[in-house]
Amino acid sequence: MRDTQGSYFTGYVTILIKGDRPELFFQKCMDKGITVWNVRKLADDQCEGNIKLYDIKQIKELRRGTNYKINFTKRKGYPFLFRRFIRKKQVLIGLLLSLLLIIFLSNIIWEVKISGVPKDIEEKISKQLDSYGIHPGSWIFSLDSPNAIQQKLVEDVPELLWVGVEQKGTTFFLEGVEKIIVKEEEIKGPRNLIATKKGIIKKMYVSKGLPKVEVNDYVKLGDVLVSGIINGSEEEDETDKKAKKLELVAAEGEITATTWYEVTVTVPLKGVHEELTGNQEKKYYLRFGEFRLPVWGFNSPEYDHIHREINEENLKLFNWNLPVKIGESILSEKSTTEMNRSKEEAVQVGISQAKSELKLQLGPKAQIISEKVLQETTDNGKVKLNLYINVEEDIAEAQPINQGD
Amino acid sequence: MRKFHQRFKPWLIKYLALPSDVILELPRITIIGQLHVYIENHQGLEKYSDSELKLKTNKGYIEIIGSSFVLKMMLPEEILLEGTIQEVKFTPDQ
Repeated sequence: MRDTQGSYFTGYVTILIKGDRPELFFQKCMDKGITVWNVRKLADDQCEGNIKLYDIKQIKELRRGTNYKINFTKRKGYPFLFRRFIRKKQVLIGLLLSLLLIIFLSNIIWEVKISGVPKDIEEKISKQLDSYGIHPGSWIFSLDSPNAIQQKLVEDVPELLWVGVEQKGTTFFLEGVEKIIVKEEEIKGPRNLIATKKGIIKKMYVSKGLPKVEVNDYVKLGDVLVSGIINGSEEEDETDKKAKKLELVAAEGEITATTWYEVTVTVPLKGVHEELTGNQEKKYYLRFGEFRLPVWGFNSPEYDHIHREINEENLKLFNWNLPVKIGESILSEKSTTEMNRSKEEAVQVGISQAKSELKLQLGPKAQIISEKVLQETTDNGKVKLNLYINVEEDIAEAQPINQGD
Repeated sequence: MRKFHQRFKPWLIKYLALPSDVILELPRITIIGQLHVYIENHQGLEKYSDSELKLKTNKGYIEIIGSSFVLKMMLPEEILLEGTIQEVKFTPDQ
């Protein structure tokens, strides 16, 4: 019996032998080592039996030279079933379409779940996510990785301390932790305000403490501007310790001073400038290994200079990466312009460059009052500028008073 | 020599308890009720019909008579017969 087991999978046929003493044909099969089963004699000259599908060739060879007639009466087993299935085109197409549908649907976000934060922040997060293109119904492969989303969210929603983004199949789980914004009351100990830079005092506004300088005074780095010791000076303090009890406060105030900087910048006279004109064309394709199958966008644009940007994403079926990638290539028109600056223009560019650099260094509160070109040299097609820039800024910095006991 | 051979084999069976069907190349027939007959070591099919099966063996023929016979399996030197068995006959070589 073991020989006939599994014959359903490999397929078998029932053959009907016609001729004189048909059972002897099966005897011949047996001698050849062909398994035959369910042999039945139907009539004196008819006998049927089952043989395996892959033995048919041998059977046909055996038949040659004899005067038996073979009819195949039944075909059974998986191969025949499969062939019948293949022949039904509609079913096959349906199967293919449903497979595509599964792939299609499993690449779509179905749900975005936000947990761990109150409703208003939830709303904010979902709005933010919408702006990133994460909402039910969007393609998964068009999104950034969860890590990148996490980072962006934390940056864009200031109320969030932390957010965990996890993608489980077609669902995005977001777990947020709200930032409890508590303005920490600074515990102010007694302190002085000292100068952080040398400069000339322009404006003083002292709300607490004893001013030590006046407007138009020149101060150096580390000079005390506002003292936190209200009663008596420090010298007195040392000589006359017990006589006066010192009152220490946390000095507070804003001291604006004019400071100056010397900045050196170099500006090339010639420059090549690349910029995108805004004309662009998008192409979409599916990539199987090295082969690219264009899906959309077939003709190449007629741009002189092209900037190519390629984004590729894996298609996924549940958790597996399919060997198919969907890609988008953006062809943007690029124009290069060569710039020739005159010396005056270069100087202007240099000054504004130096200003913006300085502004960036000093912060938004600083104000640039005036600038002066100290020195200007040209060599190798470059203009080298030595600039002197006057700035108004807050130079006060708190320094705690060491009470020393 | 041949004679010696023919004597030696039964001796083997008798004293070394070797199975007789292997040594003497005889058919081994297993019958399960009236349902099945399992014949091994036969030498070929001689006649088969709905009510009769005749197999060649080393020394003559085996004839099985009954009704509604189906050969459930045919392998070289093995046959499984299904049906209603009525008789098993040994007929010597003619």
